[in-house]
Amino acid sequence: MAATLPHADLIAAIPRLRRYARVLTGEVTRADDLVQDTLARGWEKRALWQAGTDLRAWLFTIMHNVFVNQRALARRDARNVSLDDDEGGAGWQVPVQATQFTRVELIETMHSVGRLPAPQREVLMLAAVEEMRYEEIASVMGIPVGTVMSRLSRARDKLRRMAGEAPAQLKMVK
Amino acid sequence: MSMVPPLIDDDLLHAWVDNQLPAARTAEVEAALLRDPDLAARAAAWRAQNLALREGMDAWLDEPVPAKLVDAARAPARMPHWRSWAAAAAMLAVGVTLGWTGRDTMLAREGIPTTFAREAAFAHAIYTIDARRPVEVSASDTQGLVTWLTRRLGQPAHAPDLTSVGFELVGGRLLAGNEKPTALLMYENAGKQRLTLQWRKLAPGTEEAQFRYDVENGVGVFYWIDDACAYALSGSLDRRQLLAVARVAYGQIVAPDAALPTK
Repeated sequence: MAATLPHADLIAAIPRLRRYARVLTGEVTRADDLVQDTLARGWEKRALWQAGTDLRAWLFTIMHNVFVNQRALARRDARNVSLDDDEGGAGWQVPVQATQFTRVELIETMHSVGRLPAPQREVLMLAAVEEMRYEEIASVMGIPVGTVMSRLSRARDKLRRMAGEAPAQLKMVK
Repeated sequence: MSMVPPLIDDDLLHAWVDNQLPAARTAEVEAALLRDPDLAARAAAWRAQNLALREGMDAWLDEPVPAKLVDAARAPARMPHWRSWAAAAAMLAVGVTLGWTGRDTMLAREGIPTTFAREAAFAHAIYTIDARRPVEVSASDTQGLVTWLTRRLGQPAHAPDLTSVGFELVGGRLLAGNEKPTALLMYENAGKQRLTLQWRKLAPGTEEAQFRYDVENGVGVFYWIDDACAYALSGSLDRRQLLAVARVAYGQIVAPDAALPTK
């Protein structure tokens, strides 16, 4: 049981929380609201955090649950939240100075990811970008590892298909 | 010596792409990639996706953090969340005090049985006296139980933790509702008193309804509607005790506790 949360670690976790929130919500403003709600909930539930365990994974779990609940509360279909339409990913900036890819390639990739269903987008981001182990992802999302793997498969195959369709094809890199 | 090369399934390929394999398996996958150009193309495409995603999203980490989030990382001086326990308690108190006239009409119009409380009390009475098999899935597999109920109800299910008010989860079962299945979770305290929490999904867009209390055949029932789900907490406790439990259950359903990391 922890009477408090390590403040420095919380501050350090904010950029990653914001990134995860942006992937969940698909936009910047709502993402920051979600981060704020997550931090508030973390403080309310601080007694449940065990010192020495991974604070990021704990906060991610809270964020996932807060997001799922808020979406249910807002009674929004995942389609409305995700980025199926053209405004999708509008808040998803890509770096001006891309290195391994062209900016167009990055924009295409972000746009494609934005068109994935939220649960697939979430699994892919946690595996590819956060580099979480599959068991951790399962724990964060409250789903079996098998579901993580099948979502990952679907996400990657869809991205690959979309890259094939896109005018600016994502090039293979060695 | 000839050996049949091991089959590389999707899971293994993902794990290779995400660097989650031990060295021996890594070598196995890489040998297969050399043999199989299709597999190699797939793996390369997936790795390229990872790189592109990282390059695109790592840049976000460098953005300045808004002041409101820095503030939110500080220990709160007051209850920060509008849906805090205090708010939940206030909502309960208001709901119980005022009685919500007109609500039955609204519920009837939405096609929700106002008899939900009666059905809940009935199911409670039937299953809590079953000493041998009160539940279909026991609490020893809570995650399995939650996953099962989620799938069957088509709605994220949560098993509230009521240990703070002295009740342990016994397990759960699924009931045939009028149109939609109803989930039932059973709890028991040290004095062998049993509670049930039941819920069912309603039509999307159903108005939320605040707490209401009824006694049906000696069983007290608190029931409410939230997130287009009707909930009922039933037990042969007095109203004050049941209210205390309902508060905890309600708070956790609104924003369930995050599961602790497994390691």
